[in-house]
Amino acid sequence: MARYGMVMDMRTCVGCQACMAACSTENQTPFWSEKFRTHVEDKEQGVFPDVRRVQLPRLCMHCENTPCLSACPTGATHMDKNGIVLVNYDRCIGCYACCIACPYDARYAYDGKDVDKERELYGENVSHEMPHVDKCTFCVQRLAEKLEPACVATCPTHTRIFGDLDDSKSEVHKLARSGKAQPLNQGLGTSPKVFYIPS
Amino acid sequence: MTFVHQEVWHWQIATYLFLGGLGGATFAISAIIHLFEGCDRKMVSVAVMSSIAFLVIGTVFLLADMLQPLKAIYALTNPKSWIFWGVVFINFYFIAAITYVIPLLEAWPKLEPFIRKIPEPILGLLERFNNLAALGGSAAGFLVAIYTGLLISAAPAINFWNTPALPLLFVISGFSTGAAFLLLLSTFSDNEGAHKIASRLEQLDAVLIVTELIILGAYFNFAMFLPTGARASAEFLFHSPVFIAGFFVAGLIVPLAIETYSIFFRGHGNEGRKSALPILVASSLVLVGGYLLRIYVLKAGMFQFPW
Repeated sequence: MARYGMVMDMRTCVGCQACMAACSTENQTPFWSEKFRTHVEDKEQGVFPDVRRVQLPRLCMHCENTPCLSACPTGATHMDKNGIVLVNYDRCIGCYACCIACPYDARYAYDGKDVDKERELYGENVSHEMPHVDKCTFCVQRLAEKLEPACVATCPTHTRIFGDLDDSKSEVHKLARSGKAQPLNQGLGTSPKVFYIPS
Repeated sequence: MTFVHQEVWHWQIATYLFLGGLGGATFAISAIIHLFEGCDRKMVSVAVMSSIAFLVIGTVFLLADMLQPLKAIYALTNPKSWIFWGVVFINFYFIAAITYVIPLLEAWPKLEPFIRKIPEPILGLLERFNNLAALGGSAAGFLVAIYTGLLISAAPAINFWNTPALPLLFVISGFSTGAAFLLLLSTFSDNEGAHKIASRLEQLDAVLIVTELIILGAYFNFAMFLPTGARASAEFLFHSPVFIAGFFVAGLIVPLAIETYSIFFRGHGNEGRKSALPILVASSLVLVGGYLLRIYVLKAGMFQFPW
């Protein structure tokens, strides 16, 4: 049993969006509707002449205290033994209560049109057979094969660092413990498992 | 920090929230009036049947907004979710309201043959537990009305919704629309006691509107106090002419003025039946205002994202 988490090193992100492409390909997410499990926010900070651009990659924070899990009436949203927040597509009724409850904009509707388009593109090998609310899974299917999530494996600048937060030898554990990497919106008490090293 | 309008719940859910509050409150007020004031069974049965219809239509709007409405039964799985409790309250409400209304339908000669087809022991039981069904249904109606506010307040990143004031505002507004709907109904009743009930309902609605104004004041004071998404939402509403003119002025101030004038300057019931026009205008405005409130509170919901 692990407690998977991720550290984003914002000092190195160049905003190439390869993570978004890799995630879409791996998880058949509806890029045709501009819906992604992970995004890279391109922000401008400061006031002229002291300005700069910052890239902030984001995805589901896999919170320990999950507002989406509490809001889900069907139990479709659940946490697996490794602390990964998942959606059981068969049980999801698509009421969107989880989308409203999520403080990190990590969820979207994989609607009927997206399911049809997915079938058109991928034929029989579809991952999403019915409409449901979709989100990042840390690529559980890859973890089962001892592979890193697609976005981590693809990132050319080592911005995304993935591992077991309980494993004292892991890089994510050391960065999270050192205080160098901090979660977003700590005041909400959601205890995210994604941490950020500021740029 | 980014403030982003929520694009998840739209007018369909606003309709559900409105009809939930209206239906729950209509039942609660009419059953309580029937129990403690007494009024004709025809009027009460129309009110209860209408309240059931409101909740049925509201539920249809909710289901129509879902991705997988045919699996809605799964919503009875997680008691931590407000939707779970909404389903419980609404179903409990339907059972109590139907139990309560069946004996009342005997007041309609055309329906009596159908009611008589119900086996006598069952009809006897329904009559016997009529008061219990009225009280139970009223409690369920109240819970449905407050649930509509609790549902949307479970949004930690939407500061404008995530406040204890919102369920209070929705329950008071729901009861105000319920009282307004019953006032509308009373204008169609030719029963002797209808004008007395109408006077009581007018007083109730005026008190509810004043309470709603107090809650709105506290709510907007809270929202404007800190530079958060709540302030952005409040500013959005202040700059929405339909919210200000349609909800605040036409939906609260004007009906309050009409009702206050009617209460203090147009007699107190025993002086005979009042003109129906002011009641019709005030009640219709309250109903439209209640619907606009839900539409605009949903529109004003803004996520406060940390990036």
